[in-house]
Amino acid sequence: MTEITASTPLTTLPTRKATARKTLLGQVPLDSPFYAFHPVTRLILFVFLGVIPLFIFIPEINFILLLVNLILLRWGKVDLRRLRIYMPIIFTVAIFMFTVVILAPGKDPSYTPLTVLGITIYYQPFFFTFASYWRLIAMLFGTILYFSTNHERDMLVGLRTLRMPFVVSYVISLSIRAAGMFMEDFRIIREAEQARGLDTKAMRFSDQAKLYVMYLVPLFSIALRRADEISNALFARGYTLTGRVGTGGKRSDYIRSRYVMRGRDWVAIFILVTIFAAVAIAQIFFGVFALTHSPLNIYLRTILNIPN
Amino acid sequence: MTTQTAKEIWTLEEGEVRKPGIVHVVMLALFTGIGIVVGTFGSLAVPIGFVSAFWPGQAVQSIGSIWFGWWGGIAAGLFPLISNSLSGSAPLPVSIAYLPANLLQGMIAGWAFRRFFADPSLRSGRDWWIWIIFGALLPNAIGAAWGTTMLVAFGLITQAAQPTAFLGWFIGNTIPTVILGSIILKFVSPLVVRSKAFCKGYWA
Repeated sequence: MTEITASTPLTTLPTRKATARKTLLGQVPLDSPFYAFHPVTRLILFVFLGVIPLFIFIPEINFILLLVNLILLRWGKVDLRRLRIYMPIIFTVAIFMFTVVILAPGKDPSYTPLTVLGITIYYQPFFFTFASYWRLIAMLFGTILYFSTNHERDMLVGLRTLRMPFVVSYVISLSIRAAGMFMEDFRIIREAEQARGLDTKAMRFSDQAKLYVMYLVPLFSIALRRADEISNALFARGYTLTGRVGTGGKRSDYIRSRYVMRGRDWVAIFILVTIFAAVAIAQIFFGVFALTHSPLNIYLRTILNIPN
Repeated sequence: MTTQTAKEIWTLEEGEVRKPGIVHVVMLALFTGIGIVVGTFGSLAVPIGFVSAFWPGQAVQSIGSIWFGWWGGIAAGLFPLISNSLSGSAPLPVSIAYLPANLLQGMIAGWAFRRFFADPSLRSGRDWWIWIIFGALLPNAIGAAWGTTMLVAFGLITQAAQPTAFLGWFIGNTIPTVILGSIILKFVSPLVVRSKAFCKGYWA
């Protein structure tokens, strides 16, 4: 019989090195350039790209911002095919916005009527809607970029680095984690039903809808049990709502200690904050990014002979 | 086991002390998680622009405040910020602007059930009326009015388009609230009222 000593390994398991990282919307290779930056830098990039179109009414600039988002997604090695789930919403938003502005353009007498394919549209509200659409899409892709390249832990580290109170950062991270857990529970419930012979494909749409509603009943029951388990676990580990330990001192933060701010983070944050502030001031006080400065708007008004 | 009357559900027993604790914070997070899943699926299911033709998230909002008071109300305000971002139905600044309406959409039902001592398990006709009026119709009317006003303020729709958007929003939220919310309240409330996380008051 072979003698087992402390130095001999019991089993030799094949080691598999992770090559990709799970994000909130999929997976991204570990060598994605985004991961060279601290989570707080990525969070500030999210705020920058997600909010800056609010100050920009010129559709050309928002279109460029959209391209910047797509380039960043590509640079970050995000599988762009995953973005297909957003295609219906991108199209339906356009259909909704333009249908509404055609059917209900408003009653301002200064509006210029134009007949296009036998339909009367009014130039001013139509161009305004066109510009708003690009603002919206630019903002949406800023959000999609963040959720495509970050995991809930990145969000947690980002919030804690920004000195967000413990209870707030904990609730946000647990809620995002909980969403994943409920998806998993949902899958288990469905598989359990299928294992008992339920064929949802053979069901009518109304029955499928009813079934979907009934899934929520066990999901809520699981949530109740889980709330008890998690709160007991937190209590057993001495967690308090204030984030301080029992003696009153500050609780050490292991996750945050694993991430270090580097020079490139400070440079990136400085650039993002400066551009954001400059754009906001330029629009609020000087109207630099107003719709009247859009080259396309100026061109169309010139050829259609529409006064400003 | 004896069944509690509607008034007993909301009234503190003699010597009973209820305080907010970790279980409420955890429930807030888990409830937000459920809201994220339900809200995201709803927004992606039948999207018609910023307005979903079927948004069951509102049912979760009303139920949350009935069961967990302000914790459910906070979840009602918080989860659309994330679910709207994940589904792409509204960018973050617009979702932040919806926040007051989302809080109200959540809290009106919670207030009404406590104020009028309605049974969350919807046992009587009175409970049903309170649920439909304060859990579905009124919150969705307020939510749709505020939401479409914000869309106008952000320049995403014209003022003239607001009534059409209001109608789509109101109907798209009210129908799933009545169907989904009623079933959940009926079947899950008996479990919830016996749990530690249930709030007789607004915080505990």
